[in-house]
Amino acid sequence: MPQIELSQVSYNYPVRDGVSLKAVKNLSFSVERGEFVALVGMNGSGKSTLAKLLNGLFVPTSGTVKIDGLDTSDEANTFEIRKRVGMVFQNPDNQNVATIVEDDVAFGPENLGIERQRIIERVRSALEAVGMSDYAKHSAAKLSGGQKQRVAIAGVLAMQPEIIILDEATAMLDPVGRREVMDVVRKLNEQGITVINITHNMDEAARASRVIALRRGRLAIDGAPEDVFASDLLDACGLTLPPSVSLANELSRRGFDKMNVIDEDGLVEEICKQLR
Amino acid sequence: MQAIEIKNLSFIYSKGTPFEQKALDDINLSVAEGELVGVVGATGSGKSTLIQHLNGLIRVQDKKRASIVVDGMDTSSKKTLRKLRFTVGMVFQYPEYQLFADTVEKDVAFGPKNMKLGAEEINARVRRALDVVGLDYDTFATRSPFDLSGGEKRRVAIAGVIAMQPRILVLDEPVAGLDPAGRAEILDLIGKLKREVSPTVIIVSHSMDDMAQIADRIVALSHGKIVADGSPREVFGKRELVEAAGLELPTATRVADKLIARGVPVKPDVITMAELADELARLKGAKEADNV
Repeated sequence: MPQIELSQVSYNYPVRDGVSLKAVKNLSFSVERGEFVALVGMNGSGKSTLAKLLNGLFVPTSGTVKIDGLDTSDEANTFEIRKRVGMVFQNPDNQNVATIVEDDVAFGPENLGIERQRIIERVRSALEAVGMSDYAKHSAAKLSGGQKQRVAIAGVLAMQPEIIILDEATAMLDPVGRREVMDVVRKLNEQGITVINITHNMDEAARASRVIALRRGRLAIDGAPEDVFASDLLDACGLTLPPSVSLANELSRRGFDKMNVIDEDGLVEEICKQLR
Repeated sequence: MQAIEIKNLSFIYSKGTPFEQKALDDINLSVAEGELVGVVGATGSGKSTLIQHLNGLIRVQDKKRASIVVDGMDTSSKKTLRKLRFTVGMVFQYPEYQLFADTVEKDVAFGPKNMKLGAEEINARVRRALDVVGLDYDTFATRSPFDLSGGEKRRVAIAGVIAMQPRILVLDEPVAGLDPAGRAEILDLIGKLKREVSPTVIIVSHSMDDMAQIADRIVALSHGKIVADGSPREVFGKRELVEAAGLELPTATRVADKLIARGVPVKPDVITMAELADELARLKGAKEADNV
């Protein structure tokens, strides 16, 4: 059984009397445990709507979303699904609920009614996983953007989720903060947590094991990064190539052999090989 | 005349409390009219505090020592504050969050109305501003800004600022949160705004690739101080400085460094992908010629 299973999912936002906006249209795909999926597409292509469908914040207008076989439209499953699917949003300033870092991380497990000693244990290990143990007693408001997002991830980890969805979680960060967050996420994925990373950053997409591109609420491309970067539909999806891939293509038009690269290191390797 | 002249500017948040934090530390900076300056620095380096001084949103703290003159106006002078606000157009991060009116027309007209211009002039400015940002007046004027796409909303927000025809345009992270196509559109638009509306442009950005591409000059801040100031090539040439300031090098420069470390003789001062492609095509051509 796939961990995430969407079958003919549509979602309409009611706009005003009788008019609705079809944000997601007839979407079917599944994700296996441990995958690292980058979800890409234009602003308004349906990515964030899809994210909210995955943890039951939204229930499909038609079709079904199942997490570990649990149907999100059945309210009896909501609690279990929220526990399994953690979400991290874009703005680091909107996600912290407590003034002290460790209290913030404890918020989720406290709501699950877990006993105190086990909460303390979870908070400790969550902060350790994101490299923020030294900040446990610090004021959450005074952290950098990258640190705040790592605390937000720790808050999700303390729920011991099986899936983490990042909705443009690095968009407002500087390059250092972006790297910090992505390093943590990669490590969690290596430990078996499924990651769905919604992003506009094509370098981040290149580091996923699978890229899904949405266009106007429909699935447009689905494949390994190298397949997606070679797709004719890239333009229509409002996407560009990561800078290193676009340079590789340019070079193959200017005397180099075709290069199969998805990132900077691969590009450097290819250039060295061909100039030797 | 300099468009902007900043002398000895320091700024301390929560001054006189235990939470005192120095955000700016003795900044001296002049910007000539016609420059496109990229202000870069890690989160917390003082970029936003600096730009909010430019139109008097944050007042100079120590007026005895520090001064800021913008387009001939002292930003500490109450008399010219109103005019200053119209001279420096501020496009904040995620400016579309500040849209408020029920039609695009009313939203864009808000600034010119505050300038107490006549109805005809206001309408002309709204038309011109929408035209410059690439939104057709007849199609968009009567629509609700909230029904537009993310990229369109941002362009409406920018139109609202340039409708005041500011001499100096300040943009804080203008492409943050946009999809790749939207990013490219807004970057192109900035060049157009500079040519057609606001000759002096200041951009705060985390993207060194973008800055290498469009800035005439880069000012790098770290812990409230200017640590580098020069052309993109000069600034990115100072590798240790860039790293110490918590910044990245442009992709092209980073790739060039890696190639040099592997013995490929590319020039170390490339900053754009186009330059790097030229370098590599040249090396490839030379190698083929050798083999013949």
